[in-house]
Amino acid sequence: MNLEINVTETDNQNVAYLSGEVDVYTASKLKETLTPLAEQSDKNLIVDLSGVDYIDSTGLGIFIGTLKTTEKTGNTLMLTGLNERVRRLFEITGLNEVIDIEVDNKREEA
Amino acid sequence: MQVQTHVDIHSEWGIVAARQAGRKLAREIGFGSVDQARITTAISELARNIYLYANKGQIQIEEVTVSGKRGIKIIAVDEGPGIKDLRRVMEDGFTTSGGLGAGLPGVKRLMDEFDIDSEMNAGTSISAIKWLR
Amino acid sequence: MEETKISMYQLYKDMLTSYLKNKSEHALYHAQQFSKEMMEKDMSPEETVSLHLSVFQELAEDLPEEVVDSFDLLLEVMIGYGLAYREHQSLRDRQRQIESELNVAARMQKSLLPNGEISLDSVDLGVISVPAGKMSGDYYDYSLDEHGNIGVAVADVIGKGVPAAMSMSMIKYAMDTLPEQRLEPGALLESLNRVVERNIDSDMFITMMYGFYHPEEHYFSYASAGHEPGFVYNLEKDSFESLEAKGLVLGVSPKVRYKPDVINLNVGDFIVLLSDGVTECRVDEEFIEREQLVQMIRKYKHLSAQEIVEQIYQDLEKAQEFQLRDDFTLLILRRKV
Repeated sequence: MNLEINVTETDNQNVAYLSGEVDVYTASKLKETLTPLAEQSDKNLIVDLSGVDYIDSTGLGIFIGTLKTTEKTGNTLMLTGLNERVRRLFEITGLNEVIDIEVDNKREEA
Repeated sequence: MQVQTHVDIHSEWGIVAARQAGRKLAREIGFGSVDQARITTAISELARNIYLYANKGQIQIEEVTVSGKRGIKIIAVDEGPGIKDLRRVMEDGFTTSGGLGAGLPGVKRLMDEFDIDSEMNAGTSISAIKWLR
Repeated sequence: MEETKISMYQLYKDMLTSYLKNKSEHALYHAQQFSKEMMEKDMSPEETVSLHLSVFQELAEDLPEEVVDSFDLLLEVMIGYGLAYREHQSLRDRQRQIESELNVAARMQKSLLPNGEISLDSVDLGVISVPAGKMSGDYYDYSLDEHGNIGVAVADVIGKGVPAAMSMSMIKYAMDTLPEQRLEPGALLESLNRVVERNIDSDMFITMMYGFYHPEEHYFSYASAGHEPGFVYNLEKDSFESLEAKGLVLGVSPKVRYKPDVINLNVGDFIVLLSDGVTECRVDEEFIEREQLVQMIRKYKHLSAQEIVEQIYQDLEKAQEFQLRDDFTLLILRRKV
C-alpha cells in the first residue's frame, strides 16, 4: 500500500507519474505534491495514472481539490493512463465530465 | 540555615553532578530510597531538557519548609528558545512517543508540586517540590 | 494509605516466607493474584521492588552488601517503568473520556436518521446502515410526502469516522430546509449541491442517490450525484439491472444539473440502493463484484425487504471476519400491490 510519485517539469507543463495505490493512507502525500504544482502559474498539470491500480474515495477527493486549485490559477488538469477500474470510478462520480481524461489505448484490454 | 546547591548544565557531566547533589540532599532530609530515586529521576529529566533544548542552564536544589512540612525543591532555569505550546508538552504521550524519556508529565508525576513558566526566545523556568511524608 | 502499606507489607512477607520455605507453586500463584491487588491499589513497580527488598532484609538478616546495593540499580530502572505505567493509566482514562464523548455524538447522529418504521400497503421497505467505527459518513432517509409518494435517499460522504459524520449532518439539515412539498429528484440534488459546495472542504465530496415511488402511477423517479449505482429487480423477467443515472458528485461545482430518470415497477419488482461500503467489502482480499452481490440478493429475494438487507449484511460481515472497512448502507424498496 504505497504510492510513488515522480515529477518532471518543463516550461509549460508539469507531469506527475504515480505508481501504487491512491487511498486514505497515501492521499496526504499526493496532496502535498500536487497542490504546489497546481498553484504554479502558466503551467498545465498532467497526472499519469499508468502505474495506479486502485483509487479510493479519499484519493478521488485529492483530484477534486487539485482541480479546484487549477481552476483558480487558470491552469488545466489532465489525467492519463487510467485503467478500467479507475476510469469506471471517474465515470460513476461524473468527474470525467469536469476533469480532462485522456484515453490511453495501451491500457485498453480487449 | 537552608541548603542550596547550584549546578550548571552544559554537558552530560552536569546532569550527573545535579543528580548527585539532589540525592545527597534528599537523603539528608530523610527521604527513603524509592523517593530518592524519584527525585533524582526528576532532576535527570529536567537537566536533560536543558542540555538537549537550551544547551545550557542551571539546576538549583534546596530544602524547603512550609508550616512544619519539609521537602526538596528543584528549580531548572534556562535561557533557551522557550516552549511554544505548554499545554502540548504537558500532554501524556507527546514526548514519550518520540523516545525522549519521561518528559515533563513524568516529572510532574514524580514530584508533588510542579510549576512551569516559559517565554518565547527568553527561556524556561520549572520548579518542582517533593514533600517528606 | 499508610494502613494499606502495612497490610501489603505483611501480606508480602507471609507470601515470601511461605515460598522460601516450600518453594511451592501455590505460593507463586498467590503472588500472581497479589500483583492484581497491587495494581488496583496503584502500587508502582519501584514501590514493589522496594517492598521486596525491605521484606527480604527482615527475613534474611545479614544480606551481603552487594545484594542490597544492587537494588539501587533495579530501583532506578523501575522508576522509568513506573512512569510508563502511570502514563498508560492516564492515557487509558483519556481514551475512556474520548470514547464516551464519541458515544454521545453517535447517539446524536442516530437521531438524524429516520427512526419510525413505515408500514404501507403499497410498498415493502427495508434498510440497514452500519458505521465502520462509532460514527457514520453514510446517510439515508425515507419519508412520505403529502401526495403519498415515498421518497428514499442514500448518501455517502468520502472518508469515514468523525469528519465524514460532520458532513453527513449537513445533508440532513439541508434536506430539512427544502420546501415541504417534495421536489423532484433532479431539483432536490441541485439544491443540496449548492449547500454542499459552499460548505465542504475542497478535498471532500458527497455522493447521493435520491428517488421517489409514486404508488398510484407505479413509477420510480430518481437522480444520482455520482453515487454507486443501485439495482432494479424485474420479477417477470427474474432479472437484475443496474440502476444508474449520470451526475456529478455533490460539492465540486456550484452549477450542476441532475437529470432524473423514470422506471416503471410492476408488483414484486424492487429497487436496491447502497453505499460503496457494500461493494468495497473484501472477501478473501478481493472486492466483491456487483455480480456476487446480485447473487446474494437473489438468494434472499423471497424474504421481506428488511430481512433481505439484514441477511446480506450478516453474510458480508461474516465473510470479512466482522471487520467493516467502510460504512455500510443498504436499502430495498419493493412494490407490493
